[in-house]
Parts: sequence; structure tokens; C-alpha cells
Amino acid sequence: MLSYLISMTTFVGFFMILALALNLQWGMTGMVNFGIAGFYALGAYTSGLLTVEAGWPFLFGVAAAAVVGLVFGVALSYLSVRLRDDFLAIVTLGFAELVRLFALNEDWLTRGPRGLPIDVRPLSGVFDRDGYAIFYLGIVASAVLIAFLVNERIRRSPYGRAAKAIREDDVVAEVLGKNVLRIRIQIFGLGALYMAVAGALYAHYTQNISPDHFTPVVAIFIWMSVIAGGAGNNKGLLLGAGLVMMFLEGSRFLGEFISFMDAEKASAIRIILIGVLLILVIRFRPQGLMPEERFKGPSEI
Amino acid sequence: MLQVLFNGLVTGAILAPGAIGFTLMFGILRFPNFAIGAYITIGAFAILFFDQVAGWHIALAMLGGIAVTALVVWLTDLVVFRPMRQFPPISLLVVSIALSLILENVIRFIAGNDVRGFDIPLTRPVKLSGLMFTSEQLYLIALAVAAMFAMHAILKFTKLGKAMRATADNFTLAEVRGIDTDKVIAATWLIGGALAGLAGFLAGLDLVIEPLIGWHLTIPVFAAAILGGIGSPYGAMAGAVLVGLAEEMTALWFDPAYKVGVGFVIIAVLLLFRPQGLFGQPEIKK
Repeated sequence: MLSYLISMTTFVGFFMILALALNLQWGMTGMVNFGIAGFYALGAYTSGLLTVEAGWPFLFGVAAAAVVGLVFGVALSYLSVRLRDDFLAIVTLGFAELVRLFALNEDWLTRGPRGLPIDVRPLSGVFDRDGYAIFYLGIVASAVLIAFLVNERIRRSPYGRAAKAIREDDVVAEVLGKNVLRIRIQIFGLGALYMAVAGALYAHYTQNISPDHFTPVVAIFIWMSVIAGGAGNNKGLLLGAGLVMMFLEGSRFLGEFISFMDAEKASAIRIILIGVLLILVIRFRPQGLMPEERFKGPSEI
Repeated sequence: MLQVLFNGLVTGAILAPGAIGFTLMFGILRFPNFAIGAYITIGAFAILFFDQVAGWHIALAMLGGIAVTALVVWLTDLVVFRPMRQFPPISLLVVSIALSLILENVIRFIAGNDVRGFDIPLTRPVKLSGLMFTSEQLYLIALAVAAMFAMHAILKFTKLGKAMRATADNFTLAEVRGIDTDKVIAATWLIGGALAGLAGFLAGLDLVIEPLIGWHLTIPVFAAAILGGIGSPYGAMAGAVLVGLAEEMTALWFDPAYKVGVGFVIIAVLLLFRPQGLFGQPEIKK
């Protein structure tokens, strides 16, 4: 039971990093990204392949994933941030599908649908099985903490306020002398970097990655986390990520009790429920459980 | 080469009804409805149901399936979108993605992941001066062309079509001039749904029917609509043929598995250089 809890908490950690990334891009700056799974997969495969095939150590693999995520994030946003929001959604979604197709079809590199086994892990000889799970949870938790602190720092800074101004009205921000294009590309790139790092950590944790871990459903879980938690609120989305994971796991247990449903049907039901919940939240509580904190000017403090 | 052109035409014919439906809905409702793929899937499965479970003749099954899809699509508006009419487009976009997952998984829940096909007699491909084709492919093109003419007739010659064009042009002005916009919106969903149902039939003729059939068409359909200038039904028709041709041509050099990628690249390049689409007017930002 304890090891189950530890493993679930680790998974919530991956969700949290992804959600923090989306909060930068969408919650703060208003850029729609439905290609979360694409950057996540990119990081996972980069680090996985470099450590397994090229023999790089774990940290180098994660660092390489971060660089690749950043490069692709900047390139994709350079192509498309000038677009209207809804077009950005289509471009990012198409990007994620392309990454998944690449992983699926380039057998010689990614081993296609059979999945890529990854046996490289940091300090793997030092701990026993249970100890290692706690150690890895520690790594993931530190990553979450770093991302959270960076997000909070950005949110409180003048730079973060400029980002929020862009979210509210990019023309006004431009008129006020903010470099809208640069801020958008920087934020999108940073978010993509987070996502790729989350992917790398995930790859070395599950030790086997295949294209069906990176379907568009991932994006829905993360959007659900951010929207339920409260877009723009970094604390809220941590809560949101936890709730989404609890819901996913809880519904899985429930599925085991209902014996007339096979695994396929049970998983369909779970996705249906997540979709319905997402729509209900957007309709009845669009500000989320923890609405964004308003910026307090000097006079209010 | 002739063969490639023909195949491109077939692919374009599959994409066209979906692209027209998508672009019509966008024109009136002002948000990209990602559920278009799921609507196509519903069409394919509804027709499959009438064809195989109810045992209807395939032509009758097609009409039944189109009617069912139109109704389901209209219902999604009543239940999901209508109460949120005033919400920002991005919220509606997220909602439409959630909706598409819901619909797709409802179908998965009922029908499972099995791969199926319509119950139609297999025909031998005909060879005519170097061109290979099946009679289904000819029906497919004929149906798509018929749908385009029907759409043209509705938009051009009926009062409803006139109202739809006016509403797409300027919603508030149309309302002020006494157009019943609620009725126009309902008609848009019904027509868009019927087109998606037809797209489901065409896709089912050419591809295998499974719960992801529509999802795989989503990006090419978007590409076609954007290529033609989003919101323009005639542009969407031309866009569909162009995307179909591009997909088949690139399949000469690349693995056909990357067909979806073609649509994506078209969207990316086009948005970069000509965001209003090949045939669209630039949008004036207020």
C-alpha cells in the first residue's frame, strides 16, 4: 500500500510539472497549447535514447531533454505565436500528433509500438527497491519545487505582469512598449522545457516508453488540472493535479468492482467522466477552485 | 501520375464535407469545433449500425445515419454549447476537445475497438488506360460533388442560406435586421452534422471503421478549411481537394504513415505566410 502511494505521488509529480508549464503558457500568458503530449514525448525519447543508445549519464540525458524541449518550443512558437489563439491550438495539436507518429513509425530509432526499454537510473545501486522509490520521488519533488518557485518568481515580477498584460490584451501590451513577441516565445519555450524535463523524468521512472503513453488524452488531463485548480494560480494547479490523479485512480478501483465491464470499457468510461467534469467546471466554475490572486498595487499593501 | 491525381481527388472528396461543415460552424459560431472528427465517427458508426444491425440497404442506411448524426450534433449544441454562447472562444475550444473525447469514448464503450467495414459487395478494381479505380471511389466522388452542389444551392438560393451568409458576415447586424439567429444557429448545427454524417459514410467506404476514424481526419479537415480561408464554404471545397492532392503526392516520397503530417505542415506554412487562407480576405482586426 505504501509503495502504491509513493508511486502515485510520483505520477502526480509529473502531472504537476506539466501543469506548471501549461500555467506559464496559458494561465499567465494566454497561449493555448494542446501539444503537451508532444513535448512530453520529445523529452522522454531524447533522454531515453541518449542514455540507452549513447550511454550518457542520467543528468546529461535530462539536460539534453531540456535543451531539445526548449529548441522545439521556441521554434514552434516562433512559427505560430503571432497567430490567433485558436490556430495555435491546431498547430500544437498537429505537432504532438507528428511527434507521436514519428515515435510510432521510426522503428530503427524508437523501436516503435514495442516500446523503448530504459534501464539507466541515477544511483541505482545505492538503494533497495523501496528506498529507491522514495529517492526517485525526492528527485521528482525537487523538480516540482524548482518549477513552482520559478513560476512564482515570474508571476510576481514585472516580467510576469507583462505576460499577464499580453494575456488580457496583446495590443495594449504592445502599445505600452512590451516586446510581445519576445515574451511569448520565451514563455512558450520555458514551458516546453518543463514538459520535456517531465518527460525525461517519467521515462527513467517507468523504464519503458511507447507512443501510446503520449496520446492527446494527456493534454486533457493537464488542462483539467489547470482549469480545475484555477488558471493563473500556481498553488491551485498543484491541487488540481492531485485531484485529477485521485479521480483517475479512484475510478480505476471502481472499475474493478464493477465486474461486467472489461478494461477497455472501464477506460472509456473514465475518459468520458473526465470530459464531462471538464465541461462542467468550465461552465459553472471557470475561475477554478482557487481563483487567480489579484495583483496588489502598492496602495493596497 | 494520373493515378496519384485520382487518389488525391478521392481523398479530397472524403475531406470536403467535413471541411465544409467545420467551416460553416466556424463562420456562425466563431470558434473552431474540434469535435468535428468525433461527429464524423458518429456518422460512420450510425450508418454501420443501420447497415449491419438493422440490415437496411446501404443507401437507406446512409440517409438514416446522416439524419442521426445531424440530430446528435444539434443535441450537443443544446446540451453543451448553447448555455455557453457568451463564453470566450478559447473556453469553447477546450470544451469541444473534451466533447470530442466524450463522444469518441461513448462509441468505444458501445462498439469496442474492433475494426469494421460496411456490408457492401467487394468489387474488382477497374483498369482504364493506366488508371485503377473501384466503383466505390466513383460513388464517393459523386456523393461529395452532390453535397457541394446541394450546399451551394442552399447558400445561394434559399432564404435560410441568405440568412446564414448574413449571420456569418456580421452577427449583430444580422440580428438587428430581424434575422432569427437562433434558427440560423440551429440550422448550422443540423447542416454541419449532416455533412459530418456524409463524411463518415465516405470515410467508411475508403478506410476501416474504428473509433479513431474521425480523429485521424481532424487535422486534414482543419488544413482544408484553413487553406480555403476559414469560414468560407467554397474555399473549404477547394482546400479539401488541394490537401488530398498534397497528401497523395507526398506519399510518393514519404512513408504514407505521415499523411497527417502533411496537413500539419500545410497549416503551419500557410498560417505563416497567408493566414487568411489561399482564397480568403484578410481579416480586419478592430
